[in-house]
Amino acid sequence: MPAAPETATIYAYQVGFGDCILVRFTYAGGALRHMLIDFGTTGLPEHAEKTQMLQVAQDIQGKVREGDPDRRLDVLVATHRHADHISGFATRDGAGSGDVIRALDPRFIVQPWTEAPEAPLDWEGPDASVTGQALRQRRASLQAMEDAAGTLVAFADAQAGHLPKALAEQLRFIGQDNLSNRSAIDNLRTMPGEKRYAYHGCDLGLASALPGMDVHVLGPPTLRQTDTIRKQRSSDPDEFWQLAPKRLNDALAIGDEGKLLFPNARHRLRSKPLLEHRWLQDRIDAANTEMLVGLVRALDAQMNNTSVILLLKAGSKTLLFPGDAQIENWAYALQSDMASLLDDVDLYKVGHHGSRNATPRSMWRRFTKKSDRSGPGRLTSVLSTKHGKHGSEDRKTEVPRRTLVTELDAQSNLYSTEALEPDALYQEVVLDLR
Amino acid sequence: MAFVEVSVPAEILAKGPTGYRIKVVDYNATERRTYLDQQEYQAGDGMLVDPFAPLPGETREDPAYQKRLLADPNFHAQNTYAIAMRTLGAFERALGRRVSWSSGGHQLHIAPHAFAQANAFYSEPDRALMFGYFFRQDGQPVFTCLSHDIVAHETAHALLDGLRSRFSEPSGPDQAAFHEGFADIVALLSIFSLKPVVAAAIGEDSRFVDADRTIRLVAVGKLTADAIRNSILLGVAREVGEALETGQRGALRRSVELTPEAAHLLHGEVEEHARGEILVAAMMNAFVELWSERIAELGRFAGDSYNLDAVVEEGAKLAGHLLNMAIRALDYCPPTDLDFGQYLSALLTADRELVPEDEWGYRAVIRTMFERYGIRPQGATCDAEGCWQRYPADGRLTYARSNYQAMTRSRDELFRFLWENRETLGLSPRAYSEVISIDPASRIGPDGIALHETVCQYVQRADLFGAEFKAVLGTERPEGMRSSDRYTAYGGGVVILDQYGRVKYHIANRLEDAERQLARAQYMVDTGQIGAPAAPDRLRFAALHQQRMGA
Repeated sequence: MPAAPETATIYAYQVGFGDCILVRFTYAGGALRHMLIDFGTTGLPEHAEKTQMLQVAQDIQGKVREGDPDRRLDVLVATHRHADHISGFATRDGAGSGDVIRALDPRFIVQPWTEAPEAPLDWEGPDASVTGQALRQRRASLQAMEDAAGTLVAFADAQAGHLPKALAEQLRFIGQDNLSNRSAIDNLRTMPGEKRYAYHGCDLGLASALPGMDVHVLGPPTLRQTDTIRKQRSSDPDEFWQLAPKRLNDALAIGDEGKLLFPNARHRLRSKPLLEHRWLQDRIDAANTEMLVGLVRALDAQMNNTSVILLLKAGSKTLLFPGDAQIENWAYALQSDMASLLDDVDLYKVGHHGSRNATPRSMWRRFTKKSDRSGPGRLTSVLSTKHGKHGSEDRKTEVPRRTLVTELDAQSNLYSTEALEPDALYQEVVLDLR
Repeated sequence: MAFVEVSVPAEILAKGPTGYRIKVVDYNATERRTYLDQQEYQAGDGMLVDPFAPLPGETREDPAYQKRLLADPNFHAQNTYAIAMRTLGAFERALGRRVSWSSGGHQLHIAPHAFAQANAFYSEPDRALMFGYFFRQDGQPVFTCLSHDIVAHETAHALLDGLRSRFSEPSGPDQAAFHEGFADIVALLSIFSLKPVVAAAIGEDSRFVDADRTIRLVAVGKLTADAIRNSILLGVAREVGEALETGQRGALRRSVELTPEAAHLLHGEVEEHARGEILVAAMMNAFVELWSERIAELGRFAGDSYNLDAVVEEGAKLAGHLLNMAIRALDYCPPTDLDFGQYLSALLTADRELVPEDEWGYRAVIRTMFERYGIRPQGATCDAEGCWQRYPADGRLTYARSNYQAMTRSRDELFRFLWENRETLGLSPRAYSEVISIDPASRIGPDGIALHETVCQYVQRADLFGAEFKAVLGTERPEGMRSSDRYTAYGGGVVILDQYGRVKYHIANRLEDAERQLARAQYMVDTGQIGAPAAPDRLRFAALHQQRMGA
């Protein structure tokens, strides 16, 4: 095995509510390798210029090409297709941030297996039962979810006057995050580098790009893998993907006169309720909206759960990049043989911008290097986030979750993009891998 | 789809229909309109009428009749009213008293077409059952309010919540699962009283005419325990439209498919519906076993067959008895942190109180079946039959300062008795304590004389920080609980007073029970229920049901 790199430098870019992490590995003798994990946002910081994403892309380009204008980006990882992870890959007639990244000619492009356009001839995984048709179905589901997201945004806009403000904002936010990022997706799809579709336990074959390191894929699990741990037999994930967007569209058809159940039934419109109906009407409306939000959140979580979870062993250190994986994605890894890899994590890129569901306690408990005292060998955590975009403090679903941030701060060396000065472009963390 | 006529308590309904316990409000949040009730429930001469009874010359089997009903939202409304009232009736009959909704209100709301979402649930804060609908791939609507199974299940949630309000609190894995399992048991057993449905599921093999009546026959081979499990129950599931055409398997179907071996795995399951299936499977398998035994006692006709109607009648009687037992068992359940083993003891005790001689071997079969599904009575507090031990009349309780008459009416008087005997009964003097209900329980004793007993529930709660866990509950706090985590521990019991006002049973989960408290707290830590937001009350039962419908 070639020699491991000596240092890893993590640049966590200021993209507000989003992720953009560049990892630079420096080898003895000065050779450099670069891995970019995600590049997207759904809410730049208030002070940021409109060109912030382009500036970030140019900075990445500068770093990759530092000292060698021909150096390529070695690995590009797009953990999942939410806007806050891939919007930066969108192109604009050669002048967009995605064009800049494309120009770096990534050698390998890593995405979850759910993004595989079709089963390649030598396809050995996710498992033999996943045929081209299953992948096509999955693609259709992704499309359906994006369509539903469009309906959701339109709904949030149209109903703005009827819905509580916070709720409308939340619906719009989730809708926008799930909207198709067609340009970004096309850019990723047509980039000339080698495509790698990741699933739990697969070998990504990145040895030539990241020499001297072991790259482990902890997630996402394949359908069959999920099946082995799924005890709730009625919630078939594939069925969910096919049904849920359709159900959401039906549920969003509020006030749609074209789809009446009993067109000829005598009725009273909402606006002119009878005395005996009033009390319950308001409550049914509220329940309907609450469930709608639940449905939307579930769809959103499903997408998060396609996230690639990467664990790198480089020299003496272990680095963990879990994208936005939530507990359902983690569940398979946590009960697998690979779970013990988590014990040694030295650097944790905090999952899902610090949401409660993306740092499962059973994972956090495994980290042996967390400590309430600073000193050598202590866990480092990197958080890319922005307050006030997602969730609510009242419901204890705010992102980042206050209690999690407190715990990260107490138990690790925490670097958050929220702590950056207004003019700073990134947090820089250097790890000695020797 | 089966059409059956059922009896409900006579009352003069207002529009809705609205009666003394149920108020239907047919508001549709997706369509933003309320369908108005166009029906008359009383004829000009004052007679009560069923507006959806077949017209002269029509039968319930006529396609045109069925089509007319299904296309009328008022029929959907009446269907929910009737099933809910029937389910309420089953509870009141079993317990021999009125059963209240947990809200304290008298009328539970029902919204038969609440929204275009594949969900149906009981919402305690809204005092309502809300039934959604959804569209199949071909665009046809599927109404949850038309499913007997779903309506009875949701009503059972509401009734259980009225009787044991603390069972919806976070607790160990069994308690939440119990709500689901119990609601399924009620829904499934009540199907068997719909005799035409069961007869259709079994199917008639031949018939003969004897004088003025026709005897329908069914082959013996169709009625072994295995055959009932493998085809008849599935037939019933089909008749009641259990699958809702979503490709999902309903409770009845799953109770048949869940083998004891598979159930073993589910004991580690945290998802409530899945875990609740263990209870349902144990009960339904006991039902099958007992039904086949009773059938075997019936006379056989030539050609090795049974009288179909007698078979159905036996099933209905048996299901009725088990349903009574399942409901009466609630009176013998501790009010907090219930587990399946305790419910089994309650079930056996309830039956023994009613039928001291187990002539038909019901209790033996139930015990065996539950055992097969990994549910056993809990050691020291039970006797050899698996029933709760009677409270020993050893003179340690002080009755001197309590007035029996007042104790059966006044929560304060009863509490005085508990407080004076707190040491003997094992109540914590430090916790917040409250008597939450006093109910009369009447039954006819084996000698035919009516017996009046009193069922009282009390609960205790202690709100503490993780740091105080050991000091208050007597054991180290569970792994993963931080010293600053807030935690609420519960204890409580049921005291059953006999007709002389003496404690006959004291069925309790004591607050100061270190082993139980640690197991509960560890479960809550592991399932993220500590420091995490509770689901909004309204949707407490909703998320589960949505998942179940594959949405």
